[in-house]
Amino acid sequence: MNTAPAVQKTSIALAVLLLAGCATVNINESIEQTNQELNGFTKGQLSLVQTDAQRQAMAAKASDILKEPLSQPAAVELMLTHSPQFQTVLAESWAQAALAAQGGRIHNPVFAFERLRIRDELELGRLLSFGLLDLLSFPARQGIARTQIDRAQLQLTGNVVDQVTQVRQAWVDAVAAQQAHTYAQQVFESAQTSAELARRMQEVGNFTRLQRARQHSFYADAAVNLAATRHKATSSREALVRMLGLSSEQAAQLKLPERLPDLPEAPKAPSEVAKRGEDRLDVRMAKQGFEASVKSQGLGNIASFLDIEAGVRYDTDFENDTGERSNKKGYEIELALPIFDWGGMKRDAMNANTLAAANRLEATLRNAQSTLRESYSAYRTTYDIARHYRDEILPLKQTIADENLLRYNGMFIGVFELLADSRDQVNTVVQAINAQADFWRADAALQATVVGKPMTVSVSGAAANAGGNAGGGH
Amino acid sequence: MTSRRDFFKAAALTGGAVAAASVSKVAMSALPEPVLQTSPDTMPPLVPNTGRPYNPVVTLNGWTLPWRMNQGVKEFHLVAEPVLREMAPGMTAHLWGYNGQSPGPTIEVVEGDRVRIFVTNKLPEHTSVHWHGQRLPNGMDGVTGLNQPGIPAGKTFVYEFEARRPGTFMYHPHADEMVQMAMGMMGFWVTHPKNKHPLISDVDRDYCFLLNAYDIDPGAYTPKIMTMLDFNLWTWNSRLFPGISPLVARKNDRVRLRVGNLTMTNHPIHIHGHEFEVTGTDGGPTPKAGRWPEVTVDIAVGQMRQMEFIASEEGDWAFHCHKSHHTMNAMGHDVPTMIGVDHRGMTKKITKLIPDYMVMGERGMADMSEMQMPLPDNTLPMMTGEGPFGSVEMGGMFSMLKVRKDQKPGDYSDPGWYKHPEGTIAYEFTGELAKPARSSGAGQPSMKLAQKQQPHIELKVRKPTGHAGH
Ligand SMILES: [Cu+2]
Repeated sequence: MNTAPAVQKTSIALAVLLLAGCATVNINESIEQTNQELNGFTKGQLSLVQTDAQRQAMAAKASDILKEPLSQPAAVELMLTHSPQFQTVLAESWAQAALAAQGGRIHNPVFAFERLRIRDELELGRLLSFGLLDLLSFPARQGIARTQIDRAQLQLTGNVVDQVTQVRQAWVDAVAAQQAHTYAQQVFESAQTSAELARRMQEVGNFTRLQRARQHSFYADAAVNLAATRHKATSSREALVRMLGLSSEQAAQLKLPERLPDLPEAPKAPSEVAKRGEDRLDVRMAKQGFEASVKSQGLGNIASFLDIEAGVRYDTDFENDTGERSNKKGYEIELALPIFDWGGMKRDAMNANTLAAANRLEATLRNAQSTLRESYSAYRTTYDIARHYRDEILPLKQTIADENLLRYNGMFIGVFELLADSRDQVNTVVQAINAQADFWRADAALQATVVGKPMTVSVSGAAANAGGNAGGGH
Repeated sequence: MTSRRDFFKAAALTGGAVAAASVSKVAMSALPEPVLQTSPDTMPPLVPNTGRPYNPVVTLNGWTLPWRMNQGVKEFHLVAEPVLREMAPGMTAHLWGYNGQSPGPTIEVVEGDRVRIFVTNKLPEHTSVHWHGQRLPNGMDGVTGLNQPGIPAGKTFVYEFEARRPGTFMYHPHADEMVQMAMGMMGFWVTHPKNKHPLISDVDRDYCFLLNAYDIDPGAYTPKIMTMLDFNLWTWNSRLFPGISPLVARKNDRVRLRVGNLTMTNHPIHIHGHEFEVTGTDGGPTPKAGRWPEVTVDIAVGQMRQMEFIASEEGDWAFHCHKSHHTMNAMGHDVPTMIGVDHRGMTKKITKLIPDYMVMGERGMADMSEMQMPLPDNTLPMMTGEGPFGSVEMGGMFSMLKVRKDQKPGDYSDPGWYKHPEGTIAYEFTGELAKPARSSGAGQPSMKLAQKQQPHIELKVRKPTGHAGH
């Protein structure tokens, strides 16, 4: 009779333990944490839109943002708060964290009920059983779950960095392509003017058909180039629209600034970007991975040997003839005998995973600095090239244009040479825009690399002698 | 002793001439002091005060080299050196020349003079001097390699010969000739007759200049020495109009012009308002029977011509080369002809691309002399020089003959613009224009074309009036 309260006590204790140890996930806290971690990167604009009210507020904000030409920070803000694609990332991260939390809970106890009749005897068997190891390893598993939640948190942060970097680069692509299109339009106009003038020259007998055809062929080529740049402007704009998750109406409202931002006065110094290392995202993820491995190895060592089921039994026998009923109380332990599998393979795998995680951590630590150096080199090189365009090449081309105009004034060259030269100058401007765009892409990549999401960008070296032989009439 | 003092006196006469201080006095002790001239102006004639007397010439935008008498020998000192030559106000060229100038100073001697010329080479390469047209000992003819070794950089050579026949001559290098002449090395030589010569008249004014050509890119300073024919600067004594001095005469002066051609093409030199006779060539005075009146004389490459006329007509008379490209200054020879091309709508388009663009040549090139547009550095506008009635629309080989009745003898200063007597200037007709009668049968071909090449085209007359929009 006095065993019953003991069982009850045990049950209560278990329940309390279950409730207390519950690992829970609050997505808003998690987003807040990412906001804090990436302060300076997302500017704290991250939020998961869940309610209709929030949704409406976001739409209003989006239409506010879209009233002005979209700057790069505004593009980031718009994506963080508005893009369904990005909200998907957030929601998925929530799901991942919730699943991780699930792993930290104790399996529900199993209640078995038996009803057996032997002749005139009725036996009712009740068994409340739970995995003893489950219970014993509870603190360890809880720790693992927490690690995994933390990991999901880091994953979320990483995804945010990824998406922000992508939107930044998409914005750079779109603005640069639009700018290049504007200039291609100028080349086209120059060629068109040459062709029209040549037509009139031939009309009054001052040009041969050959001379006219030459001018006209520049025009024909320029038309192809214009069409290609127009499509590129459209496609990169649409890529941005998709990143921002704009509807067709919103896409129609989207205005891009006329030009890329000016280069910063001075490039970031290597010391400015190198100071972070230990708290980089990739390093922290590798650390988490390692810790999770170590923790699960501790658990796995036990679990690989034993699988213990414990149960509380409370059976009742009814004897029909006597009408007597008697209760049996006791407990039951179920033990898997490690005859065929002593868990060695499992432990090997654990060991191997931990070893891998340890090495991954080490590799990440080493790579972190290397990727930072590479990313900085890309950043610095594109900065220097873009600045070289700004300070050297464009002024030189301007000098050439100025001097050519003076030569035209003195009738040393004709209007066709002047127009051919203007086409040359414009092609250089396009190269300069490309160099500037390269810089802003590298800048976005460097920002991502600094927080620990290594990104590489290609450094094209711009020039590639484009437009060098666009000239006519020379 | 006296000769040295006289020498300085002569130097002072040339106005602004200075003794070169950079040449070591010790090294030069046996040489006549070299005299330099840096002013591009026409210097007054150097009246001889030693040696035989003669009637001196005036070198257009140039000067005559002073000499010293040394035991009966006339000694000159030429210094071949890099020089800066103002070709016209606003443009200076980096040339090679003699004694501070290109062309070098004129050397004037008298028939029968014993002449000793010291030539110091301050160029970076060897040189020599050939005395173009003179009779002299073969070893004095100055052809490098043939008659003498080149004068090495930094060395001085001496040429000595007798000026045997009177006439008009030149001097120029005969060493790396293409380069040295393209760089402006040349000079004038006049041998005056010792006695009165039946074929050489006494004149009141005796002008001389050399024709030379340069190829200097707009904005550059040094001639391109490889150019063979496509020169862009056609000059008289390395000067361009409006930088060329006018030739001045007192009414009824007998004027002699001596012109030598050291360019690579011929130049038909043309005078307005007068006729001249060619009275001499490089070969000497022309026999009287072989002289005929002309208003243009073609001077072939390497030739000299002496022309004489009476400046009987008052006024400011154009005097120029008749090859019109030679009176333009630098220009692009590949610039397409824009005359008559409709520019409507085009200008706006072009100024969108090239904001400072202006339409030119649509009506012809006279626009050039009307518009004041910025040009490359060190470049002269194509057709300039303001006259009393506007732009003269000329450049290069162009000057004026200014005849005035009140011009003093020996006065070479510019008398200013001619004041036309009443009723002697072309004027605008303001009456009614009658329709001209045209013969319908005029201008038939003498032979019919076997094959018609083109359908008959109605001639479209291009009206030389501009239209709106530019
Ligand atoms: Cu000529």
